[in-house]
Amino acid sequence: MVLNATSDQESGNWPPVDISVQGLAVSFGQARYALTGVDLSVRRGEFVALIGASGCGKTTLLNVIAGLVPAAAGTVTVGGAPPAAGRADICYVLARDALLPWRTVTGNVEYGLELSGIGREERARKAASYIEKVGLLAARDLYPSRLSQGMRQRVSLARAFAVGRSLYLMDEPFSALDSQTKLVLHDHLLGLWESSGTTVVFVTHDIGEAITLADRVLVMSKMGTGVVDEIRVDLARPRSAEALQADAHYHDLYRRTWMSLKASAQ
Amino acid sequence: MTNIANSEANLGAAVRSSGGRSILVARALFLAAILATWQGAVAAGLASAAFISTPAGVAQSLWHLFKHGEVLPDLGTTVLEIVIAFALSVVFGIATAVVLDRNDWLNRIVSPFLTAFNSMPRIALGPLFVLWFGIGIASKVVLAFSLGYFIMLLSTLGGLKNVDRDLLLMSRLFGASELRLFRHVRFPWALPSIFAGLKLTLIYCSAGAVIGEMIAAKSGLGVLLQSFSGRFDVAGVLALILIVALLVMALTSLLDLAERRLLEWTKGSTDVP
Repeated sequence: MVLNATSDQESGNWPPVDISVQGLAVSFGQARYALTGVDLSVRRGEFVALIGASGCGKTTLLNVIAGLVPAAAGTVTVGGAPPAAGRADICYVLARDALLPWRTVTGNVEYGLELSGIGREERARKAASYIEKVGLLAARDLYPSRLSQGMRQRVSLARAFAVGRSLYLMDEPFSALDSQTKLVLHDHLLGLWESSGTTVVFVTHDIGEAITLADRVLVMSKMGTGVVDEIRVDLARPRSAEALQADAHYHDLYRRTWMSLKASAQ
Repeated sequence: MTNIANSEANLGAAVRSSGGRSILVARALFLAAILATWQGAVAAGLASAAFISTPAGVAQSLWHLFKHGEVLPDLGTTVLEIVIAFALSVVFGIATAVVLDRNDWLNRIVSPFLTAFNSMPRIALGPLFVLWFGIGIASKVVLAFSLGYFIMLLSTLGGLKNVDRDLLLMSRLFGASELRLFRHVRFPWALPSIFAGLKLTLIYCSAGAVIGEMIAAKSGLGVLLQSFSGRFDVAGVLALILIVALLVMALTSLLDLAERRLLEWTKGSTDVP
């Protein structure tokens, strides 16, 4: 029985590993390593949050996975292949919304689809459906200069999820928002992710955000040696960012993560 | 949200249309005041009509120039020179800017030479251009082009150089090719600078063409200008300058029309005081 359970875990029942990072080192110039000996594995369909003090290399790690920064040592595979920028199965969401100012909301959501080679009709249909999902139907013909920060980030999320890729890498996409708007955006992101079944690696310095969104929160060392602690977030899904604010277990996890983050910075 | 946006837009439109008529009236009054002061100063003996002419005198000269269509061949020559020089400046200026933007190595080699050539007083080169390219329209086109090309090149290059890096990165991560990056990010980003360049280029091309004609030419408004000033016909000189100004304004308003359509997105929701 016990043996069976173990072999079950190791073979069939768990989804396969989507991202595998082993012994990764990254250097900017020769003087010092930004990251050394970093290990990470993320399973398919998992939502993982990376947190850590600023300068701990969390964005660098994300950029290695995205193929934007080369590894100096170690192996990195994403979906079984080495990382490369512009791969057709990866979508990277930047900290800034990066909307094209000369395109309307619809035009911006269609942009990602256009670059992915989707035909005109399907583009229009998908864009409309994702604009509706983030609650921006009424604003679909407006230019970005007329939108609030929160609305702009919602357009950015719609653009990202409309292309339907299997891995989403997000680099603090909500860091410029106020805490109320953040909660709204968390619900939009959870909604988009839960209906898509994709893998997400989400970089943030906001503990509440990490716990609200992720299945696992990985705490990174300030020394650039990678993941030092892991907090499993066993909050039921579907989650509501607002309801979690009054959830005792959420606050337990928050406290635990905060202690871990504090320890990692020393 | 849209209601707010719509009512904002309507408010703006309402202000513009009701303000439109009063602005036109104010402009007419302003023009009338200038002309009245001018005419009045001469009538009161404060200034001599021999030096500054009068509005009536300029109007009369304009009438004479157009009455039998005498000015039309010269006007045609000048317009042709301006249009050719403007088109060449725009095409070659933008093309050079695109090449230099994508090729930093080349840019670093040629940029001091471009600065040096652009620092030369091109008007002073006018007589040389006549020597090299003859007294036909070629020498005027070259003079006007030598002014317009650099304006177009520098304004386009400035726009291309400061493109938002995040927009490029985002597009590249979505899989955009270099060609698409240019079409969807670099070029639209540079478009406001390009339009600013187009308007300046038009002004400098027309100045280059007229001044070139004044140096040596067979026909053109510049030739007429030279002969009128030789005869101390102040009204005639002012009438010709007015023709050039109206011509440039008419062409600029065409550019404004295109700009309003293409750069609709630059209008933000908040006006900075």
